[in-house]
Formats: sequence, structure tokens, C-alpha cells
Amino acid sequence: MSHGGVSELRKKNLVVIGNGMAGARAVEEILTRGGGDMFEITVYGDEPYGNYNRILLSNVLNGSQHEHEIFLNPIEWYRDNNITLHVGVYAESILRKAKCVLGQDGSIEPYDKVIIATGSRSHVPAIEGITLPDGRDKPGVFVFRTLDDCREIAEYAQSCRGRAAIIGGGLLGLEAARGLQNYGVQVDVVHRSQHLMNQQLDAQAGAILKATIEQMNIGVLLSRDTRMVLGEDRVTGIRFADGGVLQCDMVVMAAGIKPNAEIGARCGLKVQRAILVDNQMRSVDDPDIYVVGECAQHRGHVYGLVAPLWEQAKVLADHITGAVPNAAYHGSKVATKLKVMGVEMAAMGLIEAEDERDEIVQFTEPKKGTYKKLIVRDGRLAGAILLGDISKAAYLLQAFDRNTPLPEDRLTLLFDIGASSKKLSVEEMPPEMQICNCNGVSKRDLLTCTKNGKRNAKAVMESTRAGMGCGSCKSLVAEIVEFACGGEIEEDPSIHYYVPGVPFTKPELIRICRELNLKSVSSVFRVLADGKEDAASKPGLASLLNTIWAEEYIHEPDARFINERVHANIQKDGTFSVVPQIAGGVTTPAELRRIADVAEKYDVPMVKLTGGQRIDLLGIRKDQLPDIWRDLGIPSGHAYAKSYRTCKSCVGSEFCRFGVGDSTSLAIKIENKFKGIDTPHKVKMATAGCPRNCSEAMVKDIGAVAVEGGKWEIYVGGAAGAHVRKGDLLCVVDSHEDVLKYAARFMQYYRENAKYLERSYGFVERVGIDKIRAIILDDEEGAGAALDAAIEASIAAYRDPWEEAYTAARPAEFASTLSTIQ
Amino acid sequence: MTVSSRNGRTTIAGRYFPVNRGGLCQKGWSAAELLDHPERLRTPLIRDNKGSELRPASWDDALNRIADEIRSIHAQHGRNTVGVFGGGSLTNEKAYMLGKFARVALRTSQIDYNGRFCMSSAAAASIKAFGLDRGLPFPIADIEHARTILLVGSNVAETMPPVMQYFQAQQLSGGSLIVVDPRKTPTAAAATLHLQITPGSDVALANGLLNLAIRGGYIDEQFIQSRTSGFEPIRRTVSAYWPDRVERITGIPEKQLVDAARLLGEAQTAMVLTARGPEQQSKGVDNVLGFINLILALGKAGKPYCGYGCVTGQGNGQGGREHGQKADQLPGYRKIDNPEHRAHIAAVWGVPEESIPGPGRSAYEMLEDAGSEDGIRGLLIFGSNLSVSAPRAAHIERRLRALRFLCVSDFFLSETAALADVVLPSAQWAEEEGTMTNVEGRVILRNAAVPPPDGVRSDLQIISGLAERLGAVSRFPAEPQEVFTELRHASRGGAADYYGITYERIEQENGVFWPCPAEDHPGTPRLFLDQFATPDGRARFHAVEYRGPCEQPDDEFPLYLTTGRVMQQYQSGTQTRRVRQLRDAVPEVFVEIHPSMASSHELSSGDRARVITRRGVVTLKVRLSLAIRMDTLFVPFHFPEGGRANLLTNPALDPVSRMPEFKVCAARIEKAAECLTEV
Repeated sequence: MSHGGVSELRKKNLVVIGNGMAGARAVEEILTRGGGDMFEITVYGDEPYGNYNRILLSNVLNGSQHEHEIFLNPIEWYRDNNITLHVGVYAESILRKAKCVLGQDGSIEPYDKVIIATGSRSHVPAIEGITLPDGRDKPGVFVFRTLDDCREIAEYAQSCRGRAAIIGGGLLGLEAARGLQNYGVQVDVVHRSQHLMNQQLDAQAGAILKATIEQMNIGVLLSRDTRMVLGEDRVTGIRFADGGVLQCDMVVMAAGIKPNAEIGARCGLKVQRAILVDNQMRSVDDPDIYVVGECAQHRGHVYGLVAPLWEQAKVLADHITGAVPNAAYHGSKVATKLKVMGVEMAAMGLIEAEDERDEIVQFTEPKKGTYKKLIVRDGRLAGAILLGDISKAAYLLQAFDRNTPLPEDRLTLLFDIGASSKKLSVEEMPPEMQICNCNGVSKRDLLTCTKNGKRNAKAVMESTRAGMGCGSCKSLVAEIVEFACGGEIEEDPSIHYYVPGVPFTKPELIRICRELNLKSVSSVFRVLADGKEDAASKPGLASLLNTIWAEEYIHEPDARFINERVHANIQKDGTFSVVPQIAGGVTTPAELRRIADVAEKYDVPMVKLTGGQRIDLLGIRKDQLPDIWRDLGIPSGHAYAKSYRTCKSCVGSEFCRFGVGDSTSLAIKIENKFKGIDTPHKVKMATAGCPRNCSEAMVKDIGAVAVEGGKWEIYVGGAAGAHVRKGDLLCVVDSHEDVLKYAARFMQYYRENAKYLERSYGFVERVGIDKIRAIILDDEEGAGAALDAAIEASIAAYRDPWEEAYTAARPAEFASTLSTIQ
Repeated sequence: MTVSSRNGRTTIAGRYFPVNRGGLCQKGWSAAELLDHPERLRTPLIRDNKGSELRPASWDDALNRIADEIRSIHAQHGRNTVGVFGGGSLTNEKAYMLGKFARVALRTSQIDYNGRFCMSSAAAASIKAFGLDRGLPFPIADIEHARTILLVGSNVAETMPPVMQYFQAQQLSGGSLIVVDPRKTPTAAAATLHLQITPGSDVALANGLLNLAIRGGYIDEQFIQSRTSGFEPIRRTVSAYWPDRVERITGIPEKQLVDAARLLGEAQTAMVLTARGPEQQSKGVDNVLGFINLILALGKAGKPYCGYGCVTGQGNGQGGREHGQKADQLPGYRKIDNPEHRAHIAAVWGVPEESIPGPGRSAYEMLEDAGSEDGIRGLLIFGSNLSVSAPRAAHIERRLRALRFLCVSDFFLSETAALADVVLPSAQWAEEEGTMTNVEGRVILRNAAVPPPDGVRSDLQIISGLAERLGAVSRFPAEPQEVFTELRHASRGGAADYYGITYERIEQENGVFWPCPAEDHPGTPRLFLDQFATPDGRARFHAVEYRGPCEQPDDEFPLYLTTGRVMQQYQSGTQTRRVRQLRDAVPEVFVEIHPSMASSHELSSGDRARVITRRGVVTLKVRLSLAIRMDTLFVPFHFPEGGRANLLTNPALDPVSRMPEFKVCAARIEKAAECLTEV
């Protein structure tokens, strides 16, 4: 290897002066272009922090963001990227001959390239009385520029809670004003010009903005030239050139920025408002010195916003790393948005038309605080002001940024006149309007179909296929069919079928099955559905037949889900869970010991207390189930089926200081009565000993809550799962026996009338609590006795499925040839 | 669906299945028309010399010709000069066999498939972030239960209508649906909130939403700490995406950004779903990673009713990418450059490990220089209409013409088949048995409903016949179930493990979700509940920056062009353009344009206009729509010849997934009557 090759490997020294948004961004851009391998990077930053997002300071002041959220690069970032950071150190000068930078702390950093990113500071107008006679800042006078300023302002405002004057009615001034209001300070904005935000707005917009700002209880004083800050040892007011005085306790300077260009001037670089740069962001005097951000002046412009500074940083990085040797910056398009709560404002580009080429498009509605003005040049957007309604800002900003040709319809530039949001009525819809997108069916097709004799929505849908794709147009199709039939619609019977594969409603089906003695799922298909077995209908039928026939029901295992076939709840890894019955959540040491023994014997991976006050043994292989059940010797807790599950209870009046009813023994009675009863969907119950409702009885399918006077409230249709619903009060009764009676009656009514897989909350909402009360309590349909008899039969037919399983010869159901995965 | 055949007429009816819940769209109802369509190929076709016409031939002649051509190219140029191109609509069995055929019978590394143009960005991002790629890590029915869903670049209502019902149910139960799309599609119109994004600015949106989520205190620090890694750099990256900057990049009003972040942040459960919109870009992987970062930071992954998912397009888009027709992949989602993975597959195939070739080139790269000195000389295409569907289609068509030998298997003489030297008539969906793996990772079985017409063979029979003629050492059965049994063993222990899945189980259980490593394993409907599939079990954040699309509008091409599908058509239109009622609904290619922009170009509805990009010109009919952004044009991609949207699209590739940038490029539009501009 030649020496030349080695020496090329030496990294060059890059010194960055300034650690604000521009300096840090430039460094980041350089690093992403592999600059970390080319340069030893040193950064001087005179604030004692890492780098933060200055434009969010207003949010910190107004409390909408916390300080730590605005940091872009914490101190560690510099370390991680091998950057030497002189934190809190002011860089005094650049020695261009010696090629080094001198820090105020005496540090000397040699450079090959240097980047000046010193930014700017608040412009403090020449005003008397800003400082105390001894030269210290007068207490109560602030600038608004850094995180420290932000903290000090907030602190002072909180302690004085008086009146604050903001000098400067530009972007920063208004943001500061609104922010200060949060500290209980009465705020006035004092502005030299004749209207607010004169950099971004024309006079008309300024006037509208003034009205809006004043409505927020912020005073606005225009054309006021502040000459003096009053007060001996702290601020008491300000005096204007016209002699007027404003009493106040603090003054915040927000009168623009002044580039920190002194370091450039000191080392002999050309400086006007800021340091002059070429298109590569280098000083026009020294190709080794780059300048970026608010301290750079490019083609007469000094930019005080983030977007331009980032564009500059990109060009700088492209050039300094050689990634794009001919990279060039051609100036930025400037746009601003005011971030003041309650004011919507966006502005970009020109404020006023400049010559006759410029076309002005304008809309004002001062009462609403709305003002929109566009300046269009050669069909492109040269400037825009939006106040009050900025819904088009996003579009206009992009058109402005990209110089996109604008549509000739100027109205669309000011307003969203997109697709009308008004919904057409069925009559108003044109015949060719497409109703079903999936299957391309128009209103005309639907009308024709109705005319040809299909008189209900379902028939029309089947014939035209409208609504048979995604189904989203179903209700619209129904409306159109109704409209076409002129109200003489024939109801479609099938929506009332209990299961899709058998054409009967639930009550009809119950009656027919009883009459024809249909006791198995296959017999129902054979007799009532032309022998066509429909898999989706099987579990529903199985549940129904079990409800009707109780003991006489003929089981056919394939009609049931796996859980109900093996009487256990399948888990995601293919193992099962076993939950023995613990009535009312009350157990005994002996029972607990037995459970513990079983858990140890079978190496049960997890033993867990359930939400239903029981104990769950998890991770059990299918083939172990019968043995475990036998060893437990406790009946099934039915934690797996579409059936009555469990009844939670609190300790009730027996032990609880607040208890007014014996909820525990009621829960045990409930468990003993309803265990294993099949239902259309699971039924969870609870009893609470007082209205504090510790056992959550009001959000159960059926819940009983003890109230004063030995009474019990019965709630039905509660839910607290994916769906949350407070149960409806069914009735108030006097005894445990009545709770059992009405709960049983309700349960049977639910069993006979709910659709398969319809939870009680859906059922109660669908039928309505009034109707349910009429049937259950007032026995309006005279069905009370039949309901009672039917549920008693089901209760009498109960067998513990576990006992049946382990006493029978081992059914093939529990065979397991392969082990489950871990 | 159920297919029945009576008196020679085949009819289709909806069937309740847990995915579509009985719904079918027009494409489904009308699919039977394809089975006995008069244009159906019923005999192999051979072109004797370049320049001569295709003529009917016997199967023996056709297969012998292919084998001869392959042997001759092999002898002259080496094994890697014959390529294979597969498709995401092939069954798992075919995809598997095609991969094996390439590696064992042809011993070529050059195999890829059209899924590269479809899901590859989402797949790559999922593997990076979660260690595993399965379209949805949850059953599709879970959509209903997510309180907020961010659906990015997907027009479900028109592209997969039956799936739309889940989003409707989700909204009906009080959930919020946020749709991101440059067009107000029927899906967007049905949403709670529509973010009308500037094409190609997805990363800015994702980072901007995360910025707002952090600001709003919506992120789940506990989840980030316990189940993910790499969050700190993200916090810093997104801090530079404050709302008004993101508004300016994406064109989405700040207020809508804030609303979207709030809906996502305050929801108990949330999902982010992406589709081709953000994925078919040269920053497709970054786009998806950006959205994954968002869902991870919100702590809404690896939990029920939460997570990131990719909505797949093709019937077997998922299974098609798991079993070896991808250039870098072996069955079971194994990697072709992993020695252990190679050894497993070599053992199943009964070949020496070193005989399996290494990774090949991705779809576009393989096609880009086909027929040249450095490229492949011969190509076998199964189930893909490349001259319509590939980006920069005119160039690809030239490359296909330049091949020494091209063989296409299809059921119609597609635009690509018309270029071939040998065309093989293959069986269609309802004529053969086979499994597909749907968007949920659910392996489903498609039964044969009708016998294939005389003279038509299944792809498996074709592969088997070719392998035999080429003297391949391993077995190439033509029976789907036999292939599936081999596939089960090949996938065993891989990421996409099908070992426990059998045809019987699929029938009985309405499909089985992979991974399913044993016959008594219930399958895995929900992934990642305990841990992610990365080595340390943690999901990974990846910092991504907005870099914009490869082409931005400029003076010459001032508008964005985006492409997509219409309701009645599917893919390159080879099938759907042949069904009368579908063709009648959308008979020809059109451009969708905002009326304001149209009037500036003096265009009105029904006019003929020319859309021009740096790659080509398409003349088409103007369709005015208030639903599209003023700066954007939309052209559907199903149409052939001069109407091919892909004459216009940009083939710039994503550096990771090699996905071309179908979804955004710069364009201009002019009235067709004006003088022609050569481009």
C-alpha cells in the first residue's frame, strides 16, 4: 500500500459552531451521507443542552408539550456518533490563517472545514429602562428565544399573575401571548405596525385577526412605538412614543430576530444582515467555511423558519461530503402557520399582488373571522393567506411548494366542493345510479325486478345479486324495494329462521320437533330440510334439541364444537383447561387439597384463579382429561360450553359489614339449580350482597342484588366483555326462592326464543325489557307454567358430563396419538 | 362458493365460509363463464420458427419441444440461463412443485413470481419487524372487534367486496375506520375519516402520526419496554415530523392528522392494515415499517384484536410466497442461503444439498435483461400475464420477444402467451383440486367441481411430464394430494409449518391456520400473543425517513399518476376481460381526473386523452371524478396493448423487496386530438 493511500484515510476536522436546529441538522445530514468516516466532528453549543426543536417552544410555554418532548438530539447522541460536543461553550472566533476555532473556555479546535450555524437572537429594540442602573436585566423584562427563556417567563408569570405586555405582534408574539394566558396573566400585544403579522398578512387579514385575538381577551395595541420600560427595580409599565402608558408587571420582547453574524464579521467574512453565502452554502469569501440557518444570507434572504434551514442543510451536506458535488441551493419557498389555540391561519409567498400579471382571488366573511386570498401568477400560486378556515391549506401549500399548475376553476382552490355530503333520498336517486358496487346493480335493475313480481328485499337480492357481495348496500336495497312496492312489501320469512338451513322460526321449530318427536340433529335435517345437512346449522340445532328434550335428546358428537365434545376448553396450543365446579366460589380445605394433588400428579403447567371465582388447571393433554376428572371427583364447572357457566358472589351479609343479603348461599343455590343447563350462548350470573355490587351482578347475563329490606333486585341482559351493557332491572323480589323462580323462568324464555349464539344482552335489547317483564312477571301470554315445567325437566335431566366420561369405556374422543408442541 | 354442473352448464352459488360469510362479488358469480368459454385453449400450440404462426400440436410434441429447447440452452449457455416465472394464483401444490422443478429438474437459480409485484414489501417489512410474514396475524373476523383501524392504500370495497362487511360491522359496533388513499374510493367514502394522501408520502404520514401519538401521551411505554427493541432512535426520528411539516408533505390537513392520532391512541384495540398503495413503491418496505412502528409504539400488537396486517391481493398470494417459487426461498418459508434449511429440503427431495442452486434474481431483474448476453435465454411462465402486469411493460415485452425460447402455460391465449414458442393449455380453478393459503394464513382446500375439458392438463401434470423428460432424479407426482403430503414434510419445522395439516382436516375444520406442526395441533389463528418470531421474541422498530418517490412532479410532468384496480376486473384482465358482463361494465381503459384539473386541460367526460410519462404514452378515455386529488391521475391496470397502464409506470425498485414503483410516478395529460409528442 502506498503512503498516499494511508494519508487519505486521515479524517478531516470539521468544526460546527452552533448546536441549534441548523447545526445539528447539518451534522445529521452529513452523517447519513457517510460523513462520520470522513470527518472528526466537533460541535460548539452555547446552551447547556443537547439539541432541541425551537419551534415547539410555544407549545412548552402554553403547556401542551413537555420540555423533554422537544429534544431532537440528547447528549448521548453526540457520544454515540463520536462527536465532540463543547456544551455550554461559546465559540469566540475563527482564525482563518491558523485554521482553528477558539472557544470561550480556552479550547482550540483545528479545522479543515468549519460550519457556522450560530442562528439568531431576539431583536431587542432600543428602549430605555430595559436594564437596571447597574446594567443587570430589569426583573420582569424577557426575551422569548430559548428553553431557559421559556422557563423564566413561566416562573415569573406564575408568581406575578398580573399584566404582561408582549412587544411585537408577529408570529412569535401572538404565540407567546396565548401561552402566557395559561398562567393567569392579563396580556396585551403591542405592535409597531398598523396591523398584526404584517410580514405574513395584508391589512384586511390583519384586521380580522385582531378581532379574533381580542375575542380571546388579549388586548391589541397597534401603531405603538414603545420607548421606555417603567419601574425602579422591577417592571411597572411601558411608555409609548405618543406619551401613552400601559401598566404591566412584565414585558416580553418578541420583535423579530437578529442573526448572530458577529463571528463572521470578526474573521473578515462579508456580512450584511447575515453572513453572505453562495449556492453551496459557503461564505462568499472562504470555501472552507460553510454557513447555514438564520445566520446565513442567500441572495438577499435570511430565513427564520425550519423548512428552509433544512433544505440548506441538505445542500451543505451533499456538497461537503461530495455526495452530490454540484449540489446547489436556490432559495426556499416560505410558508407559515400560526400555532395559537383558537386561531386558524396559514400564509405563504406574496402578500400583495406585485404587477398586472398577478390575479387575485379573494373571499371574506369578517363576522366569522374568515378571510381567503390567493395571488395567482401564470396559473401558479404565488401567494396565499387563509384565516379562519384553513381546510384548503394543505392543498395550497403543496401547490405553492411544487409550483403545480392550478385548475382554472378558482373556486375549488378556496372551498372543498367535492362530492356532496348530502344523502340523496331514494326518490331522488337517478335510475342509473349504482346501488350495489360489488355486483353492479343499479336502481333501475332493482325497480324492474320489483315490477316483475319480487316483492321483498330478499327475493330482489337473490334475483339481482345486489347486496350479496360485501352486503353494505343491503339496507339501501331494502329501502328501494319498499319504495318500489309502495309500502306493499311482503315480508321475507327467512330472516326469522332460527338457523339458516331449516326454514322455521324458533318457536315453530320447537313445536314441530315436539310434535314429530325429532330428537337428533340428523333427524331434523332429514324431516325438515329435505335431508340437506347444513354444517353451519348443526350446533344451533343441537343446542335447541337439548333444550327441548333434555334427557331424551340423542347426542351426535359431530354436531357439536370440540369444547362441547370433550367437555373442556381448548387452548391456543391445543391443550385443554379443566375448571371444576366451586359453587358460589366457596370451597373447603379438603377440596383445595384434592385439586392441588391432581395438579401435582399430572404436572399441570398452570393453576390459575379465574374471574368466575374458580380454579383453572391449564395445559392438559386431551388424553389426560378423563383421569384428571376421576381423580378430582368434583363435578364439571362447565367453563367451556354454551350453557350456564357460573355464579359469582361476594361474601354477603354473613361476614361483610355492608352486606344486606345472603349472597353466598344464594349463589350456591343458583349453581346447584342451573349447572350444565344449555343456553343459546353462555350465561354468566352473579349475586351481590349489597348495591356496592362487588361481584359485578349488574353487568351479568342474570344478576341478583340485595337491597334494604331483605329484597333482591334481578337484572338481566348485562355484559362486561367485548360489549359492555348494564343489565335491565327485571323485578324486585322478597326471597331467594323468588330469585330462583324468576331467573329460571327468564332463562327458559331465553332458551326458547333467543337465536343461536345470541347473548342475553342482544336478546333483551331485541325483545325489549317491557315485553320480557310482561311474560315473565305478569304471565301475559300464559306461558309461565310451561316455562317453569320445561326448565325443571332440563334441570332434572342433568348429568355431570365428566362423571359420564370417566365411568364409560374410554371414548375414542380422548385418544391422542401425538404429543402437543411445546 | 359452490359450483354445480347440470346438463353441461356450470353455475355458481355463494356458500357460507368463515371468511366471506357467504358473500360473492360479480367476479365470483360470473366465474363459471370462464370454464366453458369459447376462447378456452384446448390444445398445445407450437411456433416452429420465430416469426411463424402458432399451430396446434400434440402434448407429446409440445413437451418434447420444451425439453429439447431447455437441453440445448443448457448445453450452450449453462443451467442458470433458463428461468421460471410463477404466480400468486397457483395453488400451494403447484407453487411448491414449480420451485422444486426449477431447483431439481432445471437446476436453475432463476425463479421468481408475480407476487414480487404484489406483497413483497409487506413480507420483507414483517420479517424485519416481527420475524415472520403472514398476511394477517389474526383471523379476518377479528377486524370486527378492533376499535380503530388504519387502512392504508386499500380499496377493499371494490377489490375484495365480501371482506368489506367486517369493516362495516366494526364501524356499526362503534369502531372507527381511518382510510388512507389519494382517492375517495368507496372504501374511503365509507370510513370514519379519510386521509387523502399525496402519493408516495406514506413514511411522512406514519412518522407524523407517531409524533402526535407521543405528544398525546398515547404510546405504551410498558409494552415498548417488555416486548420490543429499538424504540429510542424512533422517538428521535419522528420528532422531526411535527404536524404542519407532515401536512405540507402529505397534503393531509393538520386537523385530520390530529384526529387520526387521537382515534388510534385512545382506542382499546387497534390495527394497521396496508395494501398495495404504500407497498408498491420504491420505498415500500420503509413505508410499511413506518406504520409498524406506529402500531408497536401504541402497544397494539401481539394482543387480541390488535396488530399489523397486510391485505393480500391474489387468491394464493400468501401460500404462493411460502413454498419456494421466490428467488431466495425454499418451502416452509425457508431461506435458500441457510445451510440447515437447504439440508432439510435436500433430504426431503432426496438430492445432495450442494445440487440446490443459490438465490436468484428478483422478478423485474430477471426479466429486465432477458434474452441478452447477461440474461436468461429461455423462460417458462405459469399463471402470469407479464406483458400487461410488469412495470415498464413495453420494455419487458421486448425482452420476452428477444428470448430464444418462451413457454407459457395459461387457459387463454393471453397477451404474453401470444408471444410464446410453446403454449400449454392448463386446467382452471374449478377443474382441479388443490390448497390455497388465504390472507389469514388459513390453508383452504379447493375441490375439483368439473372435469377439465379434453386436451387440457393441470400444471402439475405439465411439470411432471417435463421433469420426466429432463430425467430429473426426484419425484414429481401429478396428484395434488400426494404433492401436498410431500409439501407437509418439506415445510415441517419451517416458519410456515404445514406438517399437521391434511386435506381431511381442512375440510372438517373449514381450513387450518399455519403454523400447524402436528396433526393434533389446532393450528394458530393468532400469532405473536406471547412473543414475536424474532430470535429474542421482541418486535423490532426500524427508523425510517421520508425520502419521497423516485419521480416528483416537475414542469414537464406536473401531475402524479397512480394505478390500481376496478371492481369488475382482476389482475391483467386475462380472465375478467373475457366475461361479458364484467367487460361491459368497464369496457376500456380510462383515466380518472378531477373535473377542475380536467377543465384546465379542456378535457371533458368521455374525451380521449393521452397520459404521458418518461416511459410511455397511453391513449384513454377521460372519466371525471371529484373523488381524486386535483394533482393526481388514476389509471386501472387490467387492460391490454396500447391501454396498458404499465407502459407508464416506473420500474424503480425497492432496495430490499425489489418491488417496483407501480403506485406513483410523474405524468402529464393532454387532449388526444392535439399533435402527437414522441416520448
